[in-house]
Amino acid sequence: MIDPILMDAMTYSSLLGIMTFGLTFVRRTTGVWNIAHAGLVTIGAYVVFTCVSFLGGNPYIYFLLAFILSAVVAVVEYLLIIEPLRRRKASTTMLLVSTLAFDLVMLSILNIYADYLQNMFSLPSKNFLLRKLDFILFDEPGIFWVSLSFLMIFLVVLYVILNYTKIGIALRSCVCNPMLASVSGINVMHTNLLSWFISGGLAGVAGGLLPLWMQGKPVVGDSLLALMFCVSIVGGVEEIYGTVLGGFLVGFTQILVTSALSIVLGAAVIPYKTLIPMAILVLTLLFAPSGIAKVNWKKILTIVKFGGASKRKI
Amino acid sequence: MIAFFAIYLIINLSLNLQLGYAGIPNFGLVLAFTGGAYTVGWLPIRLCMWVFNIDSELGADIAKNNVIIVSQINSHIQTQPLIGLAVFILTLIAAVAVGGLLGFVSAYPAIRLRTDYLAITLLALGEVLSIIGQNYDPLVGGVIGILAPDVWGWSGGSRFAVVSLVLFLAAIGTLLTLDLIARSPISRTFRAIRDNEVAASSMGKDVTKVRMEALVIGSMICSLAGALCAFYTCYVGPAAYGRLEWTFLPWLMVIFGGLGNNFGVALGTFIFVALQKLIVFYKSSFAFLPFDVVWLEYLLLGSIILVILVFRPSGLMKEKQSRTMPKTRLEEIAAKVLAKSSKESRASNAKKNR
Repeated sequence: MIDPILMDAMTYSSLLGIMTFGLTFVRRTTGVWNIAHAGLVTIGAYVVFTCVSFLGGNPYIYFLLAFILSAVVAVVEYLLIIEPLRRRKASTTMLLVSTLAFDLVMLSILNIYADYLQNMFSLPSKNFLLRKLDFILFDEPGIFWVSLSFLMIFLVVLYVILNYTKIGIALRSCVCNPMLASVSGINVMHTNLLSWFISGGLAGVAGGLLPLWMQGKPVVGDSLLALMFCVSIVGGVEEIYGTVLGGFLVGFTQILVTSALSIVLGAAVIPYKTLIPMAILVLTLLFAPSGIAKVNWKKILTIVKFGGASKRKI
Repeated sequence: MIAFFAIYLIINLSLNLQLGYAGIPNFGLVLAFTGGAYTVGWLPIRLCMWVFNIDSELGADIAKNNVIIVSQINSHIQTQPLIGLAVFILTLIAAVAVGGLLGFVSAYPAIRLRTDYLAITLLALGEVLSIIGQNYDPLVGGVIGILAPDVWGWSGGSRFAVVSLVLFLAAIGTLLTLDLIARSPISRTFRAIRDNEVAASSMGKDVTKVRMEALVIGSMICSLAGALCAFYTCYVGPAAYGRLEWTFLPWLMVIFGGLGNNFGVALGTFIFVALQKLIVFYKSSFAFLPFDVVWLEYLLLGSIILVILVFRPSGLMKEKQSRTMPKTRLEEIAAKVLAKSSKESRASNAKKNR
């Protein structure tokens, strides 16, 4: 049996990574920081909750539906908001604000939906946890195995797509120079649509996983928004594996450092664990603004090995 | 409505200074706002306890004895309005200083970042004070919060009117001050950096320093709004200062009113607050709906902003060209210059003809 703290840290880090994949992916391929990603995560959680409540069964079987619904909403967001604004040459700040407004709309709809479920069907839709429905494998909850597996699968798939396929090259070229990409025969709009579809779908799956680990509520995605941005910036948006690095750094530090400090200083430090990602964010911005995925570890190791004085000779 | 309009107007004007004029997308407004509110939760009680010589044993645990202490302070303030006003002014000064400090601390690691990164970083850092406030009881009573002394207690039955008037005057004062700033050289420097950093830098402007100044000034104003809000409600609770109400809504109001136009921002704020209050006022009429009507308000606001962004991105009122002098004086100078140049050209023509 795995140590509970280690298991906690691994599951939490994996969930953070999965949640942030979509955010980083859409930023990497379309250049937009999507605040509404939080709402897309929440949609995934509610799709699984609704299906489990009305149809029963294991939550994992509804992940495909969560993927599709969140992906469709992300595509709608792109078509209705992002694309028209892009055509009008809106700045990155305006695009950011538009995603914020869209998030507000989604937040309202999700709250209305949760209220409706609660008032009409007496479901605990404002605060639900699906842990009881999870399976156990090798004495560990299914969420541990599933989140870790999903993280690895998504990482490999996205890495391969972005670096070794024509679609990946098209996705990257569209963000670098849309005009040139268009001249080269790439349909920029379709490429962007694909990017938003994948990003939304990933958010939906992450949302579906959340109620198996923590309380689901209409603001579950928004409450984790700052953390997702932290992970994305700490890991770096240039490389998709940066998200996994960021997720594990933030998740492990948050859980392991807090548990170590609580042994030394007492339980009073536990509530402050949410400050740790902010501290990591500040340190990253000061020393590695492009994220840890972009740090030249070889150079640092050489400097450490040979000392600062002999650096020039190397 | 007047009170909330005034509070939102101050915070929105601060955002307009940062975003509209300096181009800094401060998504962490809530940080400075909370800082101002926390100052009201922490300082006036201690000041009043010292001034009114309230039992020091009660002061051993202010959060626990909060209700007793504040009721004693309020009874003193009812008979000594000048002390109440002095505490109010001192706290506002402290809140502004705290806001400036928070602005500097949050900006320091991030100010050199690209616009979108800066926005996201400030958004993440905006949470910090809320986390500390909710968990460190001695600051503002933890999750439960703390009551602040009612510095307007002396006004008795007309308290509501007095506070609303003070808040309104503070908001108008901020509007006029920022409008003056908008016509000053510093505002032109802000705009120059916003429009073209490289060009501004080549003209000798220290871009990082100027951006930092804009963020610090904006945070000071934002903190003032937080302090005024806490004095109005006489309560400081970390849970009351959420990102949605004190960062996202101000952003939407500013975009709605018009970036870079203080009067547009005032108009946008008024329409938004009026809409909010209308929905709250007619809430009972929607009692048949199987959900909380407050979500209709957010749905409406979000949709309006999306429509505005797509069809009229400049907002209700466009940014005006800044004039260094009054229009009439500028026209006089232009006429003189034109007359002089035409005189010179006539003279040179005559010389050639000769």
